[in-house]
Amino acid sequence: MTRKFWIGLIVIFAIALSGVSYQKFLKTPHCAYDGSAVTPIYGVDIVLKDGSTKKFCSIYCATQWYKKNVPLIDHVIVTDEIRGNKIDSYMAYFVTSELITNETNDNRIHVFQQRQDALTHAEKFHGTMADDPFTTDE
Amino acid sequence: MIVNIYTLIMLFVAIFSLSLGGFLFLLTIRTLISFKTTVPLEDKSKFERKGYLVFLLACVTLSIRMLAWPWFYFMLQSFVPEVPGAMCMFGVTQILPSTVTFLQIIKPVSFFIMGGWLLCYYIDKSTPTVPLARTNLYFLLIVCCVLMVDCAVDIYYVLRMKPLMSVSCCATFFDVPLRPSAMIPQAIFGRHFQKILFILYYLANITLIVLLFTSLSKKWTSLTPSTRKIILYCQAVMGIINIPIVIYAYIENIAPRLMQLPYHHCIYCFMGNGMVPDAPIMLGLFVIGTFAIGGMGILRLLCKNEESKLVTERLLAKVNTLSAFCLLASLIMVTIHLIFNN
Repeated sequence: MTRKFWIGLIVIFAIALSGVSYQKFLKTPHCAYDGSAVTPIYGVDIVLKDGSTKKFCSIYCATQWYKKNVPLIDHVIVTDEIRGNKIDSYMAYFVTSELITNETNDNRIHVFQQRQDALTHAEKFHGTMADDPFTTDE
Repeated sequence: MIVNIYTLIMLFVAIFSLSLGGFLFLLTIRTLISFKTTVPLEDKSKFERKGYLVFLLACVTLSIRMLAWPWFYFMLQSFVPEVPGAMCMFGVTQILPSTVTFLQIIKPVSFFIMGGWLLCYYIDKSTPTVPLARTNLYFLLIVCCVLMVDCAVDIYYVLRMKPLMSVSCCATFFDVPLRPSAMIPQAIFGRHFQKILFILYYLANITLIVLLFTSLSKKWTSLTPSTRKIILYCQAVMGIINIPIVIYAYIENIAPRLMQLPYHHCIYCFMGNGMVPDAPIMLGLFVIGTFAIGGMGILRLLCKNEESKLVTERLLAKVNTLSAFCLLASLIMVTIHLIFNN
């Protein structure tokens, strides 16, 4: 085995370790369901019972993941589209309208902190008020 | 046509190599027609210069063309923001799908045979009597044909590519239960195919690496010719079997684990979305390692000449080391990610 061979393997080892470090410490959040970048205004955080958080790019992705992992979930935090405030999902108003937030998954569910904002949006974009998608029928 | 730096460079390289490839094709035919094993002394210099020009032109064209394969994926990635609904390269491949599929097949093929030709040329050039000149010229004709088809389709694709339609997300193809990457292994290995595929990935790669190191070891010369032949055939067969195993293992196991998205099996997201920044290196090392095994096959098939035997043996050892290194490096990278990501 030549010296070059071992040096090459050490370089590869270093590249792989830096790749892992980047993934762990540096990268911007990606949706835990489909991997796309999370736009802060549409971001959804699902807080698990073990204290960790899963980030999602849209209500659609978050609900898809939620349905499969209900027993693990503690609560869901959504983002108010008007002000960017993070609120608990049970306090938010949801509107399904013709406006798409994410062309990739055709998400049409919008989140508002204020009821008035939700009604204005529904009127403007031909929408209807919707139930909290993060509730389970017990 | 989508105008950006990637398409402009792709178009320039394709037009440039198409014209050079066409010229090279004609020049090779003319050289083959006028090819003589013995040349009168007065014509020798002219003949040598002409031959030198053909091979130099071929080296330049093929070297440029080989870079077009990774560049093609850079170009597809640059189209992602332009195509409505596209989240990764998969979305882009939904526009002109048959052309993209054809390009995705012909690019590795042309990369492989161009690499093979360059290896053969290296042997011929390193032997004083250039005993493989005629074989190399015939091989060059095939390479030129593939190169011209590749370039022509590249030009067609770049000019016709228009992001006018909305495409679907990769999740609708890669993440459905009836996806082809799951159905085929499931049909072979049953319900727990993912675990078996993962074990097979390690088993096939380790076997292949061990076989490659066997032919590099000092004991290699002490083995009987028939044993050596069996090991070489095993290398080639394992190299071929390893390709589908690695592809399926990446789609079904490795990519979702490394991306930390257990339900997402998209190989394009893995390659191009930057979630695993060193993913292109892992895949690139696997490709070079596998193609190097094929390259050794080409050398053994075409460079049998007694005069070039010594040079061929030396080059074979180098390519063998390269192949073993690349496959081992790719495996190490995957393993490090799997260990530290979990």
